[in-house]
Amino acid sequence: MINMTNTILVIILLSVLLSLASNRLSALVRIMALQGVMVSLTPLFLEHHSNLGSGGLIFFQIMILIKGLLIPGLLFMAVRKVSITREIEPLIGYHASLFFGLVCILLSGYITSRLQVSLPAGHELLLITAITTLAAGLFLMMGRTKAITQVIGYLMLENGIYLIGTALTKQSHTLYVVEFGVLLDLLVGVMIMGIILHNINHAFDDVDTTLMRRLKD
Amino acid sequence: MNYFFAALGLVLTGGVAALIFHRQFLFAKGFSLLLTVAGCALGLASLALPSDGPAADWSLTWLQIFPLSCSVDSLSAFFLVPIFLICPLAAVYNIGYQDDAGASLKTMVGVFFLNLLLVAMALVVVAGNLLTLLLAWEVMSLSSFFLVLYDFKKETTRKAAYLYLVFSQAGVLLISAAFAIIFGSTGSFLFAGAATLPADIKLLVFFLACAGFGSKAGVFPLHIWLPHAHPAAPSHISAVLSGVMIKMGIYGIVRTYLLLGSQDPLIGQAVLVLGMASGVLGVLYALGKHDIKRLLAYHSVENIGIIMIGLGLGMLGATLGNPVMAGFGFAGGLLHVFNHSIFKSLLFMGAGAVVKATGLLHVDDLGGLIKQMPVTGRSFIAGSVSISGLPPGNGFISEFLIYFAAFHGLSETGANLILVMLAIISLAVIGGLAAACFTKVVGIVFLGEPRHEELRSVGEAGSWMSLPMLLLASFCLVIGVFPEPFINAVFRTVAQMVPALTVDHVLVATVGTNLAWASRLLLLMVLLIMAVRKAFSLRKEVARGPTWGCGFTRPTVRMQYSGTSYALSIVSFYRPFARIRTIWSGIDTIFPKQAAYASRVDDIAEIALHRFLVSPVAFVLGKLRWIQHGHIQLYIGYIIGTIAVLLLIFFL
Repeated sequence: MINMTNTILVIILLSVLLSLASNRLSALVRIMALQGVMVSLTPLFLEHHSNLGSGGLIFFQIMILIKGLLIPGLLFMAVRKVSITREIEPLIGYHASLFFGLVCILLSGYITSRLQVSLPAGHELLLITAITTLAAGLFLMMGRTKAITQVIGYLMLENGIYLIGTALTKQSHTLYVVEFGVLLDLLVGVMIMGIILHNINHAFDDVDTTLMRRLKD
Repeated sequence: MNYFFAALGLVLTGGVAALIFHRQFLFAKGFSLLLTVAGCALGLASLALPSDGPAADWSLTWLQIFPLSCSVDSLSAFFLVPIFLICPLAAVYNIGYQDDAGASLKTMVGVFFLNLLLVAMALVVVAGNLLTLLLAWEVMSLSSFFLVLYDFKKETTRKAAYLYLVFSQAGVLLISAAFAIIFGSTGSFLFAGAATLPADIKLLVFFLACAGFGSKAGVFPLHIWLPHAHPAAPSHISAVLSGVMIKMGIYGIVRTYLLLGSQDPLIGQAVLVLGMASGVLGVLYALGKHDIKRLLAYHSVENIGIIMIGLGLGMLGATLGNPVMAGFGFAGGLLHVFNHSIFKSLLFMGAGAVVKATGLLHVDDLGGLIKQMPVTGRSFIAGSVSISGLPPGNGFISEFLIYFAAFHGLSETGANLILVMLAIISLAVIGGLAAACFTKVVGIVFLGEPRHEELRSVGEAGSWMSLPMLLLASFCLVIGVFPEPFINAVFRTVAQMVPALTVDHVLVATVGTNLAWASRLLLLMVLLIMAVRKAFSLRKEVARGPTWGCGFTRPTVRMQYSGTSYALSIVSFYRPFARIRTIWSGIDTIFPKQAAYASRVDDIAEIALHRFLVSPVAFVLGKLRWIQHGHIQLYIGYIIGTIAVLLLIFFL
């Protein structure tokens, strides 16, 4: 089972690196769908989560549906609707981003060892992946100009938070207050982004967020 | 407490129904009114039931960690009465006041938030622990914010609502701080924990809570939102805000005081001083304002001051071991809460009727309205008599109880004696100035000659509006002329609140009877004089001339006394506390063509807030504007930087 977990975690790490280096929006959305499914699968393969109740199972199914289907679907619709044909337009280049991702993994390893949280055996990689995902999400939000990539960055951030929650809780918890809260935020974020994107596109003929500084008072 | 919650449910359903059926304007209005009135009647009735009345409990754990609980004791029951009494009357008044079917949705949103406010206020009063009180308080603040924002298309309304939001949220912050101290030292949300705090912490908790609750009540330096928010809101809402909602601040102060059970005289002294400042300055600014609703808002500050004087005397008496002073102080303060809720909502409804009929708010634009609007005018006069503390109005009764407490405090020594003497003097000043202010309002608005020709053709307010006013006016007179049951009820409440403060029954009964006879005698004398006057003029020819014609051959309406000129001589006596600004073009030729004169009185609290808080903060923040450059990416960078710095502090 541990091997299975590790495989999933490695896939998540790779998806993070891939997302940092990808230059196509539709590719990025697909990567996020994959990452979402993997992240929601992770708790199922952890040992201390093995005795799940039916409520927990339903929760994970809903999680997979939302992260793997609903949110990527909405993102695809947004991409279609405003017909974003151009590429991602990074503020920080792809190679630099990729390098940042690698540094992030190293730093996460360092932080994990310094945190000295009493993790169950073999879970160090889980926390490293979680912190990397979180940091990469923040980096995506900062390093790209389009509004849609910011939402994707936020999505990745949420994945990281979810993983950290999974890593730190030993029992299979019955209250997913934090996870659900963040997820709700995210759904609202995606919807608002759809509206704002439409309006920015309408007003500026572009979805570049740097144009929004014209709105400041 | 099933009936109580059923009542709240009915009221809330009424609000939601108004929203759902807003397309059928008349049906929605009628249906929601029916539910609201039924709910309030049930609520009032439930107070008398043993299962729902004092000592009923209810509790629930919310989200597994937040305990919510409600309980009714005598203090809650006392504050529930004005809530369930005034709000349905305001709802009835609203039927006539907002009769524009074109703005149906807006009206119904107003109805919804009014009902939500009612429910939230009831929950504030019955809240049984810190968390429930805070939650209900926040719902109350937000729903009243939306009510103030009702006329959102006007710039001044939006500004007033924003000011109110700032004050109410700052208030909640202070209350939360006070409650956090209690929670931090006891580890539970229970009210009972507050009594176990050390004495100096108790003082801190009380002053934090007093500032927080005081900002809602409109205690002197924190009253600034009141004179902006009340004129901005529609009149029936001003009536509820001023008549009922600001009393929740008083409830909070009394509740905190009772929970802490502190014996420090500083608490009573502070409340007394705050009360005197609010009372005198409130009525002074009211005298200087000529917008009829702003003036009434300042009178709310004044009456909160009177209530605080009563409570302060009560707290001081309790500390000094003077049960007569304590009992009468608390009783007078609480009775004034009840009385003020009646006459202030009456006055706001009267002002609303005037505004609806004429569209004018400034007293110097109005005049002679009592001939066109006899019911509104007469009930407004009844309210004015009560608010000025004159017999046979109900204000006389409660103010007399406070005077009685103060005179019993004269046996104390030192600083307390001086404070008690100051309290007597300020009560006298407040009463005098309030009477002056209301002679101004009634004299300028309702008596005299109309200042515009259009005012001659206005009509009386409809029966939906005059019915609540008549009811409230009759309450004023009934309490004034038959005060004994009310005095006994309020003393029972005080005795249950603080069992140590039981005042001798015989004394209470004697004071009550004497007060009743004083009121009745005065009413009798007035009636007698009227009858005599009628009898004398019975067989004489009565000629009608212009009011205050003063023997001029060709008087014009513009020669009448104006509100400004009437009040200025009094206000200028208190110059250090009220900045008077006059604009006077002057007369420089022998045959002047045009001259202009205007004067306004500014609130020193507002000036001080602007000069010492808002301007420096705006100056400093203006220097930091470059941080807000509009790059979203860099904003996120700020967040990451902050997190990184915090993590570094944590690691290194």
